[in-house]
Amino acid sequence: MPAIALKDVCVDLPIYNSRGRSLKSVLAQTVGGGVADDRDRSVVVIRALDHVSLHLEHGDRVALIGANGSGKTTLLRVMAQIYPPTHGIADIIGRIACLTDINVGMDLEATGYENIRMRGVLLGLTQKEIAKLVPDVAEFTELGEYLKLPIRCYSQGMMLRLAFGISTAMRPEIILLDEIIGVGDRSFADKARQRLKDLIESASILVLASHDPNIVTQNCSSAIWLSHGRVVEYGPSAEILDRYAKGAQPP
Amino acid sequence: MLKDIRAGLADIRRGLSSWRTWRMLAWNDVRRRYRRSGLGQFWLTLSMAATIGGLGYVYSHLFGVDVSTYLPYIAVTFAAWSLISTAVIESCNALSEGDLLRQIPLPRSLFACRVIARNLIIAAHNVVIIPIVFIWFHVGINANILWLVLGLGLLVVNAFWIGYFLSILCARFRDIPQIVSSIMQVVFFVTPVIYLPEQLAQRSVSFLKWNPFANLLEVVRDPILGMVPSQWAITNCVLMAIVGLAVVVPFAGHYAPRVVYWL
Repeated sequence: MPAIALKDVCVDLPIYNSRGRSLKSVLAQTVGGGVADDRDRSVVVIRALDHVSLHLEHGDRVALIGANGSGKTTLLRVMAQIYPPTHGIADIIGRIACLTDINVGMDLEATGYENIRMRGVLLGLTQKEIAKLVPDVAEFTELGEYLKLPIRCYSQGMMLRLAFGISTAMRPEIILLDEIIGVGDRSFADKARQRLKDLIESASILVLASHDPNIVTQNCSSAIWLSHGRVVEYGPSAEILDRYAKGAQPP
Repeated sequence: MLKDIRAGLADIRRGLSSWRTWRMLAWNDVRRRYRRSGLGQFWLTLSMAATIGGLGYVYSHLFGVDVSTYLPYIAVTFAAWSLISTAVIESCNALSEGDLLRQIPLPRSLFACRVIARNLIIAAHNVVIIPIVFIWFHVGINANILWLVLGLGLLVVNAFWIGYFLSILCARFRDIPQIVSSIMQVVFFVTPVIYLPEQLAQRSVSFLKWNPFANLLEVVRDPILGMVPSQWAITNCVLMAIVGLAVVVPFAGHYAPRVVYWL
């Protein structure tokens, strides 16, 4: 059964400037005696997640809300197992699709078809699954002969169609979304919305970071309010949204 | 420590088992470089031919060595050396280039494998020169070529741990790629790539024995030239692989997970 269990998770992001990154400065410190990180002024550490504990299981539809920089994307990345927590434990069971960047791994010089196959390999699909992926994406994107051309000659809209088509072709158990992705002209946008809806409905767990209250209420039953990397509140989405909108201080 | 070793081994195992991913990435790297050129990746072969031809002609005169022995020699050493040195230099940026790790949770060792695979593909284009040169100068190969299997194996294992180590280190310290390419430049001069090891031996210079890169070069060069690599070189390469892996596994187990925060 797919599940996400975070226990006391912290993520500290070190920001190195050129001094902090250079070997010389580290050697100088070592030779000088004090190696302790907190004395090193050139490394700024940002606590992006602060003791987050969560348990999500089958059927959960959760929204992440909060201001910019409150840790929504970081939390998604922890759930996607991209960021190993610097403290605490993250246990994630299930096939994950992280749609934070739908353009990942795209090569402008490669053709549309090649890009579909490359993404398939990157996501660890088998040869058989990739063989199924290609016609599905081709049909959905309606790009036809264009798929035989390098994607650098695509228009912005075509590129987005392809990226969206590839990203939504998998059938994951856990979907991690950073805002609902919208694609292209009127008629295609409807098609894309439908595809995303199908994808979300077939998934076991959805985690969606969004600033749009309508999207949150449409897609999610509960919501997590994040602020400065901490979970302020976790509950039914309508309630949390309401309080978030009023800018209520955490109780 | 034990935890780090286990984590390091797990990362290597996951990296090796996603061979389809690094094979694809490596091929795409090679293709992308030559995507819009007429001759495509055979530019590799051509530029190697030009280098070897030019160097062979000039240096055989400079050293007073017969062209028919010198040219086959550098055809082999150059192909082997460019495999070794580019694999080492390029692995510095294996993790820090591109954005893949920030989007997909891939094993870190996969990127070291990608660099080696890419350079093996390129080397496969370069070695096309060798049979041509050998036929031209009537140089034969013999059964000792079988030692090449061992030699290449040692080369790949050593390139793997060096590359794995450097890729992680360079993600954190951005000066190291520069240091590494300068070092490889120096190593080039102290390794018998353009000169014959006997030329140094005649002047009773014996540091080649202690140059690990000279040993690595020997184990792949000698079999092609019809000789058995010296026991010394083989032992050194085996030892280097063992010690290197023993160091890099706990190192990677400890630091590889954090790499994504350094990108």
